[in-house]
Amino acid sequence: MCLAIPAKLIELKGDQGVVDLHSTRLPVNTLLIPEAKIGDWLLVHAGFAIQRIDSRAAAQTWAALRDLAEAAEESPPAGAKDRPDAAPRVTGETP
Amino acid sequence: MTRDEKETASILHRLRSSAAACPRTLAFMEVCGTHTMSAFRCGLASVLPKNVRLISGPGCPVCVTAQGEIDRMIELARRPEVTLCTYGDMVRVPGRRGSLEAARREGARVQIVYSSLDAVARARAEPARRVVFAAVGFETTAPATAAALLAARRLDLANFTVLASHKRIIPAMRALLQGAPRSGLGLDGFLCPGHVSVIIGQQAYEPLVREFNVACVIGGFEPVQILRALADLVDLARDHRAALINQYPEAVTPEGNQAARKLLDTVFQAGPARWRGLGEIAQSGMIIRESFARFDARRVFQLSEQAEREPASCLCGKVISGLALPPDCKLFGRGCTPISPIGPCMVSSEGTCAAWFKYGPRDAGGAPERHTLQEASA
Repeated sequence: MCLAIPAKLIELKGDQGVVDLHSTRLPVNTLLIPEAKIGDWLLVHAGFAIQRIDSRAAAQTWAALRDLAEAAEESPPAGAKDRPDAAPRVTGETP
Repeated sequence: MTRDEKETASILHRLRSSAAACPRTLAFMEVCGTHTMSAFRCGLASVLPKNVRLISGPGCPVCVTAQGEIDRMIELARRPEVTLCTYGDMVRVPGRRGSLEAARREGARVQIVYSSLDAVARARAEPARRVVFAAVGFETTAPATAAALLAARRLDLANFTVLASHKRIIPAMRALLQGAPRSGLGLDGFLCPGHVSVIIGQQAYEPLVREFNVACVIGGFEPVQILRALADLVDLARDHRAALINQYPEAVTPEGNQAARKLLDTVFQAGPARWRGLGEIAQSGMIIRESFARFDARRVFQLSEQAEREPASCLCGKVISGLALPPDCKLFGRGCTPISPIGPCMVSSEGTCAAWFKYGPRDAGGAPERHTLQEASA
């Protein structure tokens, strides 16, 4: 899943940082965004920051992601007996 | 009406007006699993004019991974000395004999990781184990693997290797276009993937537009962003124009992420790769360079290239190529469901079959409706 998640960089030491993802702290590596600094919004993919974005773009991407994550938790369409259980998660799946 | 709703309505109006000016059916292909999911989720097909079709191409990394690659991962995982680390949804993909998940139940050490660096950390923590990181994914994911290889070299790790099955999307798009006269795939343009483009940049699509006279529009993942990109594609088709448009400029730059591209070039070189359904495509793979050979699981474990044997009757290959819809497959919704998937397009949460199963049209009994590509095109 070639999906990157917007998150805010809150700690940085060398190229090892921590992002805040809606109150969840996640490790992030900034090797690919050498100019990253604390307070930046980053697109994070498989533990690596791949782009800096502005806060508006971050909010937009987050809205789209939230819809997809909610979709994963919805009940199946009426009448569907074989409930799809392969719920897409925001993290932990094949990026 | 909110501002967003007004914008959506205005884009939709533009799209419908332009489509009405086209006398034939227009077909556009997205090559991104997240576009697949997002388009199905918001019911995009139901608002598009009848003569505009969005088809899914080879954009889900799990789905395009060839059967032989999966078999090699399972073969490695079954070795008693190996701990195989991989991303989450690879573990359920069936190989010739079971899946990684099944191998794990039988005692194999299979570890799901969040980041490639977690696999490196595991190798450091367990020097007696041989840690193999099995990596799939397009250009978005490959830099993380490259970083792990650099870390392994810096740490001089003797027990860490990578089984790399990374793929480059542009050669696959090129192969689809080159094969179109024979396969019958009629395409009016590509909806190009957002986060792959963050790495490779807008300019990467220029040769495709030039050589094949095909429109390429890069789009984000929100329904309105997808719609905007599609409206541009329809405008271009109406005007008989092939052009490259970036509708995701907040994240995609002309040249992409240069640090990531440099890292990829340090670690990998382009070479042939096998794709499910598409066969071998020149220059579409990322081969670990000779200078990193001691971390290349293919070389270290002397893995053989196995003959491809895809599940009988499974149409994933054709679905990935845009030549069949999931309901064209005899297995769809019968033998093959998200609970007991047979083909990878049903395993991956963003595979076309899984999306179709969840959001596609349903018959009166609630079962996924079975109609074919020919009917959908009519």
